[in-house]
Amino acid sequence: MSPEAHRRKAERIERSLAKCARKDYEAVIEAAMLAGSHWFNMALHVFGLTAEDDDVVHTYFLTGNQSQRYGILAGDMLAALDAIEQLRPLYVRGNAPGGEAAGRRAFELLARIRESARAAKPAV
Amino acid sequence: MKVSTHLEKVERLDALRRRLDPFGDFELWFWITMIAGTNAVNAALHAAGVTDDSERFPTQPGVYLVPDKEKPGEWRPTLASLGDVLHVGRPRIEAPLPPMLVAMCAAMEVIEANRDPCVRAERRITEEIVDACDDAYSRCLTLMREVLTESGDTDR
Repeated sequence: MSPEAHRRKAERIERSLAKCARKDYEAVIEAAMLAGSHWFNMALHVFGLTAEDDDVVHTYFLTGNQSQRYGILAGDMLAALDAIEQLRPLYVRGNAPGGEAAGRRAFELLARIRESARAAKPAV
Repeated sequence: MKVSTHLEKVERLDALRRRLDPFGDFELWFWITMIAGTNAVNAALHAAGVTDDSERFPTQPGVYLVPDKEKPGEWRPTLASLGDVLHVGRPRIEAPLPPMLVAMCAAMEVIEANRDPCVRAERRITEEIVDACDDAYSRCLTLMREVLTESGDTDR
């Protein structure tokens, strides 16, 4: 997808996210993962690190070499997106205590990803 | 997870789903449809005795998070037999399934087929797609209730 298409998708998901209440923490975490993935892919394309037909689906699918390469320019986004992914087994698929706090954490991590992605400039 | 926990999640997710616009909020509406449906499948699989309902949470096929007995409040990954599935087909269930569960999985496959094209790519969201996902979701929840009734599951 083009950087512009990723931005549109991320913003659509974030508008829907605004309809979630605190108790909807599974949806908040999943929306943060989805929107965060679109922001991350937008940034990788803008940096010139990935082609538009080469999108990252989940951080845990990345090879060690990809994580190292993307981490040079997008390390903060990669770490934040990975932190959101870590919340999913416990609070979305599972019922570990603290779901609402996890939802707030995912929301904060998404804001970090968005801010960094919007600042991305061609670099490679 | 226990059937009652899956049902509690389905109920909350379904309430949110009703507040979303299937077109304007398609991506999140779709995702909630998918994860609520997957919870329904897991509840039915447990009730039918096909999968284990113990309190462990899947991270990837065959790997589950369990409480770390040496570090209270923390979790550790462990290899374990089939409990909750991540998605229908992930992992594939080798055991024979009762017909109602086969139908539930078929309904979820209709939904899953739209996941990457519509959420991670740019397939145009049409009324046909929304209706197909909505019908499959309704079918999945109806079948779940039938499985629970048939199994006499009272843990809900």
